[in-house]
Amino acid sequence: MEKKKKTRFIIIFAFIFAILIAGIIITGNLLPESPHEEISVAMKDAVLHETFKINLFGLQVNPAVISAFIVSGILIVAAIIIRIFVIPKFTIIPGKFQMLLEQGVELFANMAKENSPHCHGFIGGYIFVAGAYICIGTLFELLGLQASTTAGTSIALPAPLADINGAITMGCLTFLVIMGGGIARNGLKGLGKALKEFSLPISMSFRLFGALLSGALVTDLVYHYTLTSYVIPVFVGVIFTLLHALIQAYVLTTLASTYFGEVTEKSEKKVKVPKEKKKKIKAERA
Amino acid sequence: MTGVPLNIDFQQILLHLLNFAILFFVLYLALYKPVKNFIDKRKAGYQELDDQTKENLDKANALKEEYESKLQEADSEAADIKNKAMDEANAMAKTRTDEAKAEAELILEKARKQAEEEKDRIVAEAGDQIEELAKEAAKKAIFDSTSDAFDSFLDSAEEK
Repeated sequence: MEKKKKTRFIIIFAFIFAILIAGIIITGNLLPESPHEEISVAMKDAVLHETFKINLFGLQVNPAVISAFIVSGILIVAAIIIRIFVIPKFTIIPGKFQMLLEQGVELFANMAKENSPHCHGFIGGYIFVAGAYICIGTLFELLGLQASTTAGTSIALPAPLADINGAITMGCLTFLVIMGGGIARNGLKGLGKALKEFSLPISMSFRLFGALLSGALVTDLVYHYTLTSYVIPVFVGVIFTLLHALIQAYVLTTLASTYFGEVTEKSEKKVKVPKEKKKKIKAERA
Repeated sequence: MTGVPLNIDFQQILLHLLNFAILFFVLYLALYKPVKNFIDKRKAGYQELDDQTKENLDKANALKEEYESKLQEADSEAADIKNKAMDEANAMAKTRTDEAKAEAELILEKARKQAEEEKDRIVAEAGDQIEELAKEAAKKAIFDSTSDAFDSFLDSAEEK
């Protein structure tokens, strides 16, 4: 029985494999050379979004802008529904959904408290919203919603932050929040501390952009070649998207709260030591 | 193309910014703050309960200590009263004994005095009688013969 099963399994597997190989060869030979865009062109478009634009009330915008509005819409509607129907029914001993909400809020509130113990009220809220936006925005890519471009073709909507403009917005806004916190808490000293990290908006923006884009690029790359375009892109795309959604949300929120904590920290006043005392101390040390 | 590298478009950046600002405003007010307030309120409630429990425990401990000290005080007070009563009883017994002794002494003294007086009185009476008898005998000796006088002396002495 065992041997029979084994041979049956091998025969079926070999049959499927042969059909797939035959299909690949036949489709390659039979189909005329499709106006398939070259990989370099596809990559360039994925990065720059120069070719495909979408009309938004007369404005020609990148697909990521539409994605951003849809993600925000989903989040806002969900938040309003939760606010009206769920939060008023909160109980002291939480249910599953209440627990999920509380954990989400506490995760960011505690992160803000740990990284910025002096001032964590506002930054907690900011990193909560930013984290939710990055995470849900990245996962949104998995839905593969289609939108029609100005050229008349359809395009799958990307993650909002896979567009350089979205990433720059997020990075610069986070830097502005950090700088604002520094000024509000420490005045000019806070501003100075924030400006010391002048590379922060650039690094944040491009980290986000690069990380989110890399997943899309690798998936595109895998999908572009016939041999690797079966099954593999599904796993690659999903895994990259999931990982980036979690990792980038965590990285940006941690960085934002840490820098916010550094900038809002009250600096201790240095006690002026008289010159004579300094000389004495030096002499003693010598 | 706007001429800016990497297809950076300020109009789209502003659109993203507007989008995120609205999102932040709604999510912060509708989700983050109410949930955070609820958590803080619950934490405060638990903290208050904890504080109350601690306070009650402290109060109970203080009361226990107070009662224990009071009990000790009462014990020592009872012991004092007992000792005092014992001392008083002892003192009273001593005074009673002393008084009884003194009374007995007095009675004895009185009895002794009385006996002494009685003795003195009897001796004095006996002396007086002897004196009288001697007088009578002398009288008889003078007036009667010596033998009669002697007989009459003996007779009178026997009579007496």
